[in-house]
Amino acid sequence: MKRFRALGKTIFSSHPMNLLLGSLLAMVISMTGLAAHAAGGELSKEDQACLSCHDKADQVKKLENGEVLSLSISTKAYVESMHNGTSCEDCHSNIEAKTHSKEKKSIASKRDFSLSMRETCRDCHKKKFTQYDDSVHAALIKAGSKKAPLCSDCHNPHTVLSAKIISPIADTPCAKCHEDIFKAYAKDVHGLERVAKGKSAPLCANCHQAHDVKAASLGSGVKDACISCHKNASELHKDWLPNTDRHFEAISCPACHAPDAQRRVNLRLYDGVEKHQVSEKTGVPQFDRLTVAADAKNMGLDEMALLSLLKEFNRDGAGGKTVLRGRLEVRSGVEAHQLSEKSKALKDCNVCHQAGATPFQSVTLTIAGPDGRPLRHGVQAGVLTSIASVDSVRGFYAIGSTRIKLLDILLVLVVVGALGVPIGHMTVKRLFKGVREKLEAERLAAAQGAGKTAPMAQRRHGDEASK
Amino acid sequence: MEKLYIHPLPVRLWHWTNALGFLLLIATGLQIRYLDLFQLMPFRTAVVVHNWIGFILIANFFVWLGYYLSSDKIKVYHPELSPKKYFEASFRQIQFYGYGIFRGEPNPHHPSAYKKFNALQSMLYQIIMMLLVPIMFFTGLLLWDVGRFSSIVEMLGGVRVVDTVHVLLFIVFCGFMIVHVYLASLGHTASAHFKAMITGYEEVEDEPAQDGTH
Repeated sequence: MKRFRALGKTIFSSHPMNLLLGSLLAMVISMTGLAAHAAGGELSKEDQACLSCHDKADQVKKLENGEVLSLSISTKAYVESMHNGTSCEDCHSNIEAKTHSKEKKSIASKRDFSLSMRETCRDCHKKKFTQYDDSVHAALIKAGSKKAPLCSDCHNPHTVLSAKIISPIADTPCAKCHEDIFKAYAKDVHGLERVAKGKSAPLCANCHQAHDVKAASLGSGVKDACISCHKNASELHKDWLPNTDRHFEAISCPACHAPDAQRRVNLRLYDGVEKHQVSEKTGVPQFDRLTVAADAKNMGLDEMALLSLLKEFNRDGAGGKTVLRGRLEVRSGVEAHQLSEKSKALKDCNVCHQAGATPFQSVTLTIAGPDGRPLRHGVQAGVLTSIASVDSVRGFYAIGSTRIKLLDILLVLVVVGALGVPIGHMTVKRLFKGVREKLEAERLAAAQGAGKTAPMAQRRHGDEASK
Repeated sequence: MEKLYIHPLPVRLWHWTNALGFLLLIATGLQIRYLDLFQLMPFRTAVVVHNWIGFILIANFFVWLGYYLSSDKIKVYHPELSPKKYFEASFRQIQFYGYGIFRGEPNPHHPSAYKKFNALQSMLYQIIMMLLVPIMFFTGLLLWDVGRFSSIVEMLGGVRVVDTVHVLLFIVFCGFMIVHVYLASLGHTASAHFKAMITGYEEVEDEPAQDGTH
């Protein structure tokens, strides 16, 4: 019945003038029951009529841009698809059977055709469509991208299968655009396990969401996805990793679980009040303008430039609202998908916790761009060890590797100074040895003369001297 | 020489536990911070040992605090309320360490069970025990599990701020330990104060002390 309601709605919305006709059609179909179009694979006469032409291999249409659009639909694949309960007209409601074969409609390109058809998906898949509207893919389309995926780029509407059916990983639509990442995934611990064990290992959408896709390096969505499967990860790490919660917060999982990856520190501009990553204002871009202005030599922002930048972001009464939150992560999406077996993950504290550690030699500043992708600007590695960064980089600190150099100098000065106290004092004491012996002899003589003991004489002498 | 019982057993136990603990904290702290310069032990071992000793010393601090709060010996920490008297006594002590001691003059401070600290020690130990040590332990506790105390860490300005305070105090205590040991050797013999801190009895000259003996 859902199908018929959708059909009725499609007809009403597409052809308001045919309200009566649509209502009658829906009523007739309802009354005749599911016999007209069985979900079990039996096709209605109307659909059979469509497929009588379209289930031929040579059905193509030349588009305005020269592309050739295949119009062939396999009846077998269609009947086996999740859409077997949806009639042709449910989606192609703008086609008039009488004029269809005679009327020549021009289509600019495959992309234009997909764009024109995608609203029909919304009729039935409202929830997924809403999620998609909020995704980085939809944002890219709004920004004019010609490559960002539309519904039909990932889901062939005539052959779409249930998400519960495990397809070979090579059929994953994400691979069409994210080829390098997918190749890395196919060789990593998840990809290999997916092939070996099927659904127990994650595919792209399990971590990145199928429709509500966000830039992986923003927010904590991907880490949450890791922990949603590896629920005891925190407990397992607590067995050997001090400050586990802090490590989980400040380090992305692949930073240790992709042991061959290159790492970097990502300083994220973060809204300390609203508790989310700061986004570039739409229409009033300031990140690029401010970072480029603060980094005239293009050598990366230094500590003072970073401080000024934060002040700029906190202007207009937003004092202290924008802060920096650091995160250790791998440098590329490909490296994030080179996850190894657990036994090969990094457990050596020395990799990060000593001065000059490689992961801390690359630092970047990030803001969420208006299209949902990160905008970055380089930061000099010295920022992490500067006393001037105590405030600006206050939320990120790794023992040893990001220690403040000035404190090292202070430690040396204090220890040398403290050692100088006994050395200097003993030296002076030795120099005064003659004076001391002379005075002691005088005191002794005076005491003997007074018939008193030397200590008592000393005490009095000391008391008098101190007055 | 007269022997005065100046250092009660709980104080001596606290002191030597603290001394040993601070040495180990400094050693493990240096290892944690300067892994690139030397490797006496693995980093993780240094962190775990540092944390355990930290907790032992926090408990030990409360031994010290509990003893003095429940004893009339707390008078040793009572400040001199007259600034004039305090500064005069401090000046005499500075004059002794900076000049009189070279001429063989006696220490102007005559210790007793209820006034064992000279004016400089009295002020310094109050600052150390009631301000610096608690801040050191508190920042150490926060750094032990930053996630658990994240709201407090955030309130104080972030993990880098908390760590900087912890390290600054570490530097202060490194200097203190060196100077403290040297000053402890300036008794009537080099080992007199060390022995006193073990036995509890300080050897003082026969003349009865004028200030504060009850």
